[in-house]
Amino acid sequence: MDILSLFVVVPVLTILALVFTKGLKQARLVSMVGSMFQLGMAVNLVIAYFKERAINDNIMVFTKDYVWFEQFNIHYAIGVDGISVALLVLTSIVVLAGVFISWKMPDLPKEFFISLLVLATGVYGFFISIDLFTMFVFYEIAVIPMYLLIGIWGSGPKEYSAMKLTLMLMGASAVLLVGVLGIYFNSNADGGALTFNILEIAQVNIPFEAQKLFFPLTFIGFAVLGALFPFHTWSPDGHASAPTAVSMLHAGVLMKLGGYGVFRIAMFLLPEGAMHWDTFFIILAAIGVVYGAFGAIRQTDLKYINAYASVSHLGLVLFALLTLNKTAWNGAIIQSLSHGLLTAMFFALIGMIYGRTNTRDIKKLGGLMKVLPFIGAIYVITGLAYLGLPGFSGFVAEMNIFVGAFENPSMFNRVLTILAVSSIVVTAVYILRLVGKIMMGPLVNDDFKDLPKATWYEKTGILLLLIPIIAIGVAPLWLSDMIMASLDPFIKGVL
Amino acid sequence: MDFSSFLLMRQEIILLAIILLLLIAEIFIPKNKKSSIVHLAIFLFGIHTVVGFLAISECSIFGGSFQTNNLIHFFKNVLNIGVFILLLQSADWLQEKIVTQNKGTEFFILLFSSLLGMYFMISSGDFLMFYIGLELSTLPVAALAAYETSKRISSESGIKLILSAGLASGISLFGVSLLYATSGSIFFHDIIGVISANNLTILGFVLFFAGLSFKISIVPFHFWTADVYEGAPISVASYLSVISKGAAVFILMILLFTIFKPLMHVWENIVYVVAIATMFIGNLFALRQENMKRFLAFSSIAQAGFILLGIISGSQLGTTTVVYFVMIYIFSNLAAFGVVQAISLKTGKENMSDYEGLYRTNPNLSLVMLLALFSLAGIPPVAGFFGKFFLFTAAASEGYYLLVFLAVVNVTISLYYYLLVVRAMFLRKGENPIPFFKNKLYMRLGLVITVVGILVLGLYSPLYDYIYELSSLFN
Amino acid sequence: MDISYTILIPLIPLAVFLLLGIFNQKIKPAVSGYIGVAGLSTSAALSFYTAYQYFFVHGKVDGTYQAIVQKVTWMNFTDTLHIDMGVLIDPISIMMLIVVSIVSLMVHIYSRGYMKGDDGYTRFFSFLSLFSFSMFGLVLATNLFQIYIFWELVGVSSFLLIGYYYTKPSAVSAAKKAFIVTRFADLGFLIGILIIGYYTGTFDFETLNNPEGSAILNWASTSFMGLSVITWALILMFMGGAGKSAMFPLHIWLPDAMEGPTPVSALIHAATMVVAGVYLVARLFPMFYFVEDGFALNIVAYVGAFSSLIAAIIAITQTDIKRVLAFSTMSQIGYMMLALGVSKYEGHDGLGYMASMFHLFTHAMFKALLFLAAGSVIHAVHSNYLKDMGGLRKYMPITNITFLIAALAIAGFPLTSGFFSKDEILVAAFENNMLIYISSVLVAGLTAFYMFRLYFGIFWGKETNYKHAPHESPISMTFPLMVLAFISLVGGFIPFSEYVSADRVGFEMHLNYPLAAVAVTVGLIGIALAWVFYKKENNLASKFANAFGVFYKWTYDKFYIDEVYLFVTKKIIFNLIAAPIAWFDKKVVDGTMEGIGNKTVVISKKIKGMQSGKVQDYALSFVAGVVILALVFIYLWTN
Repeated sequence: MDILSLFVVVPVLTILALVFTKGLKQARLVSMVGSMFQLGMAVNLVIAYFKERAINDNIMVFTKDYVWFEQFNIHYAIGVDGISVALLVLTSIVVLAGVFISWKMPDLPKEFFISLLVLATGVYGFFISIDLFTMFVFYEIAVIPMYLLIGIWGSGPKEYSAMKLTLMLMGASAVLLVGVLGIYFNSNADGGALTFNILEIAQVNIPFEAQKLFFPLTFIGFAVLGALFPFHTWSPDGHASAPTAVSMLHAGVLMKLGGYGVFRIAMFLLPEGAMHWDTFFIILAAIGVVYGAFGAIRQTDLKYINAYASVSHLGLVLFALLTLNKTAWNGAIIQSLSHGLLTAMFFALIGMIYGRTNTRDIKKLGGLMKVLPFIGAIYVITGLAYLGLPGFSGFVAEMNIFVGAFENPSMFNRVLTILAVSSIVVTAVYILRLVGKIMMGPLVNDDFKDLPKATWYEKTGILLLLIPIIAIGVAPLWLSDMIMASLDPFIKGVL
Repeated sequence: MDFSSFLLMRQEIILLAIILLLLIAEIFIPKNKKSSIVHLAIFLFGIHTVVGFLAISECSIFGGSFQTNNLIHFFKNVLNIGVFILLLQSADWLQEKIVTQNKGTEFFILLFSSLLGMYFMISSGDFLMFYIGLELSTLPVAALAAYETSKRISSESGIKLILSAGLASGISLFGVSLLYATSGSIFFHDIIGVISANNLTILGFVLFFAGLSFKISIVPFHFWTADVYEGAPISVASYLSVISKGAAVFILMILLFTIFKPLMHVWENIVYVVAIATMFIGNLFALRQENMKRFLAFSSIAQAGFILLGIISGSQLGTTTVVYFVMIYIFSNLAAFGVVQAISLKTGKENMSDYEGLYRTNPNLSLVMLLALFSLAGIPPVAGFFGKFFLFTAAASEGYYLLVFLAVVNVTISLYYYLLVVRAMFLRKGENPIPFFKNKLYMRLGLVITVVGILVLGLYSPLYDYIYELSSLFN
Repeated sequence: MDISYTILIPLIPLAVFLLLGIFNQKIKPAVSGYIGVAGLSTSAALSFYTAYQYFFVHGKVDGTYQAIVQKVTWMNFTDTLHIDMGVLIDPISIMMLIVVSIVSLMVHIYSRGYMKGDDGYTRFFSFLSLFSFSMFGLVLATNLFQIYIFWELVGVSSFLLIGYYYTKPSAVSAAKKAFIVTRFADLGFLIGILIIGYYTGTFDFETLNNPEGSAILNWASTSFMGLSVITWALILMFMGGAGKSAMFPLHIWLPDAMEGPTPVSALIHAATMVVAGVYLVARLFPMFYFVEDGFALNIVAYVGAFSSLIAAIIAITQTDIKRVLAFSTMSQIGYMMLALGVSKYEGHDGLGYMASMFHLFTHAMFKALLFLAAGSVIHAVHSNYLKDMGGLRKYMPITNITFLIAALAIAGFPLTSGFFSKDEILVAAFENNMLIYISSVLVAGLTAFYMFRLYFGIFWGKETNYKHAPHESPISMTFPLMVLAFISLVGGFIPFSEYVSADRVGFEMHLNYPLAAVAVTVGLIGIALAWVFYKKENNLASKFANAFGVFYKWTYDKFYIDEVYLFVTKKIIFNLIAAPIAWFDKKVVDGTMEGIGNKTVVISKKIKGMQSGKVQDYALSFVAGVVILALVFIYLWTN
């Protein structure tokens, strides 16, 4: 079994093992072991990747290729570069953290963990595939469990949110399907055979007309998952209703599929289309950045605030991608990682607070720092990291994006950049409002006097996320260089 | 031609033999053992299904009015499997009927003769044979629909079916006559040479097309579907929705691809229009159905719309994807109907709201249903996804991107109502959920086979390649 | 000279911070206090050693002080642009090192007494160390991005320390205000950096500041709205500096920041962080000076002058002693800014630059002293308000004397440190810009007045009847007072211009007696007035207050600038932007998505009539369908 396929096989095996478990204890134990193994593999992959990279300068390494549907030239083709490696690591971390955070899953634990791991499987598969069809399959596998996860274990108007989220995302993937077919049937433009293989298609000069037609379909298909304005409305409701671990995985990992897909498929395969539509979409993205930030100011539900914050931060990812600049792209990838960790962290903390106080309404919360010192401290740290404080991953990402975006000679783009930059102030406003309201100040509710302190599994989950956040923030060089190195083949198309 | 060439009709002959055997059997089996007829029938048909897989040589006999080849043969096998599963799922119900209402073998005899009709229909070499097949496949089903004589609604559906069917076949016969008038022959291979797109031909074609569309329940020829499904016994409904629809699709496709090839520039537009209409109407109606049978009826209409996307491409790719999809569709829909069957058998409940909280009481049944629905909705990794994806590919290969786009819009709509069922089973708690019950062996077997099919058919690509080879015969 | 060890100066406090931060619960308060002090003393020692090495041993090469740089790449943006981390040793960075380490050390020692018994003791010291780390890092920064990074870090440590009493709503909001206002200013800073990076292709100070370097020579190459883009960048970066240094109109956070513990105010909001803006301008002085003939520099000058004036006026009327000091700080920083603003580059023309740095140094000492002394007073009487004080001189002699020294220094009383530095500033202003000179002389007078108003109000005047008699603070608190008092007294005799100058070539500075005389007289007048008003219990002050009426009220309410901001943020940002967006999102965007879904259902409701259940209807539609299809495809749609 090759090093990459394991990323799909291991979760599947974990799921199979879960089928035979009884009760919460066994279920969580099995999933923990599985996810830990997964994390181990991810770390091992990084090391292996650096080794391989030294001797192998293909776009993708560890490539494997098995014919699947011969007639369509569909292959199970896999391979990774620095970007997918980084995202794989992110996924494995968040999944494990998610398992820890769901340590006390009261209702149908077995089914919960199974669905969680199905989702994870889809994500892993998506990140390792280099065949459009396989990728699409994994994409949908990753999305559909959300329905059950939110619908069964969620809170609030869960049925509504679950349906809304699923329909909007599946609708997007339906649009994407058309785009994929469009790419597929133009992949013989240079007289070769029709193919789904990304690397092969990238060599083909797809006619401009086709690119113009199919770029928006592909882009939107992915960008909806990346919460592109105005297709972001599934995310606030979805996140608000989802159980903690699901919000973590969804905002932390699943939404990254959007940016990754835009980058890997839409822009890599349809560069001319990208350049043609660039201005239109970059405006949408820039709006999203500011809009999300302002949207967050007025919310009073912790999860809604975080959801809108995600709209803003992921808008930044799309914005960066659309600036068609290497530095900004590097920033976009790092931002994906950073936001993945940070937002997962936030949702985890929100989950802990909610689990103790049974409210997410910031008007009802206040002064928790006194009673929950650990959670409080972490919350403040996360908040500061989230508003891009140096020393945390967010800063690295944002600076890359801003510097890169500003490199653009067109004044228009630079003005947009400044607009996007200004979002960091708004971010500061709502983050501090949040921290000040719920953590600081006098304790508003005497029932909160003796809330249970953070447990060992909660702390473990938190630290899992916090360590990489700081690691990236303090020593970004290795990461950014790893990603930079992988960007060259992609930037060529749009220069 | 000598008697040996009769053996080329092996499938038909064996089936006929089974029918006769059952007739005789009924005479000898004592009244109190009547129910054992079910075992016998299943056993016999099982053998028939297995034997069917033996290879058969290509041929054209009776002066070309009966022809068969590997694809046709393969498709007959697919139908056999479908019917076999259907028998398994209906076994318990039938035994009960036989005991309580003192029924006999008529169910099997009618069912099998209808199947026989389909055999003839799909391997017909001329319009005469085709028409006989069509009638033979339709009329018994009307009787089957009215099987539950005790129930008024059942007889109603029987009447509705027979009336609409009569109209449909009448019209298509008229179409055939027009075609004969223009081409001077009823033999397919003669017609191919002479047919051309003059008004009379087109009129003939449209009439003929309407006749088949009726069986596939394509809009606007679909109205009977929901009422009949709702009234008829579940087994019959599922038979209508999978087997007879499948057969009709198959023959329609073959005819379009062979004798009507010269008219392609006409029929592709017709198909284009009705495909869109069918998908939208089917989905929009399915959206608000409470009764599971009606629900599945409309969903099956929508599915027919998707199938047309494969047909419209008019290529070998199209043939393959259609056959492939129909096969998958048979398994998926049978699974869904199977669950409905099982539940209604135990509790008599057939409404979506009755399914609330099903997962917590009957997890296995719910999971089967879940898989079936996902397969119908086209969600990976279950087979339905591949079926649909390839259908769309076929359409896209001819540049019908707009059609594909509308199709995916419909996929999203359909996802909504499939999820409604999932919601009822998994999300809702339900105040009085259906209590846990255990299915009999036959039912379980019937469900397991479908599940295996749903899981395997998609991922197992050689099957697709095999069909692709066979499909070359018609292009 | 090998300066790699200087990296320890920031790293030691960082280590202390991590130690105290992570084992917050485990470490005993007393221990943590010692750890903090020990850490800081080490850094201080190293700073002094570095200063000695630099100024007296290696620093000078043929008359010019060299800039010694050691750095490593921290992150790559492009082939040319990258963030470095390192240390830059030159006169002003060393001067700042000294200032920061002295004050910080004193504050550490002082806090051991002041914060005794506070349950956040350990947390307090860890935050102090965090701040020291960030401030050292800022001072030693080798490039724009590094300084920006530490800029943000000092900002956040200030946030944490202002909000130290986080259960007090006022403290929380003050902290938020401080952070957000500075953050907004930093937005300008960041954009400035982006512009510089894009047009000059480097963030590195040495490259940027080189008068023969491309950055300065080609300033005219690109222009935007009539000004060189470089000028824009400098203005934007000065915006950042103005935010940190509480220049008008970004000063509003400083008075509120006094919610923090007094040692914090002394360290961050008097001596070190608030002068970061001055330091930034000084750091980029060649650019400010050469680009577009110092257009940006003029802005600096006027902003500085105006801020110093308005702050001095407001200070007169405030009754919270810490707020008085806060405004006085703002006013003094204005001094430094204007000094930079009026300065030239070469030799003695660079007097303003030197004076500004000089004043930065002396001011740090006596202002820190003032705050710490005020702290010791507050410690004794448990109140910030003048009305609760008076006649304290006999209870707290040391505090009294030290405070007096500081007051004299800030008032520019002859031979105190303040006298010298202020004199240089006035000279510089006089030589270059009359208007600014006059205003600063006026400010000098006002300063003397409000400072002695404070002094008399606290230590003289009528005695309020204290519940329990106030007593002198413990040695741990008075020792720092004495140290700082000593420096404030003699600090002026340092031949500053030998070491610090714009072009790094030392020059001879000498008192300008006429101007000094003017300044001193004005100062004395101020003191005298204060004597008349506040030495003895009388109602003169209130009389005057009434006489000025409205104007007094305005001043007392700080000219309503806070209210303006409040209006902008609450009314405009919240209600006119955020609220509509929230509405728009729910109703329009989400509404559309909803609508699509609902419409589908509606349609499906509408068409359900088609399924009538009557078989004849079905037959009809069947036939109709056939006919329509036939007609359409025979006559209309034929291809």
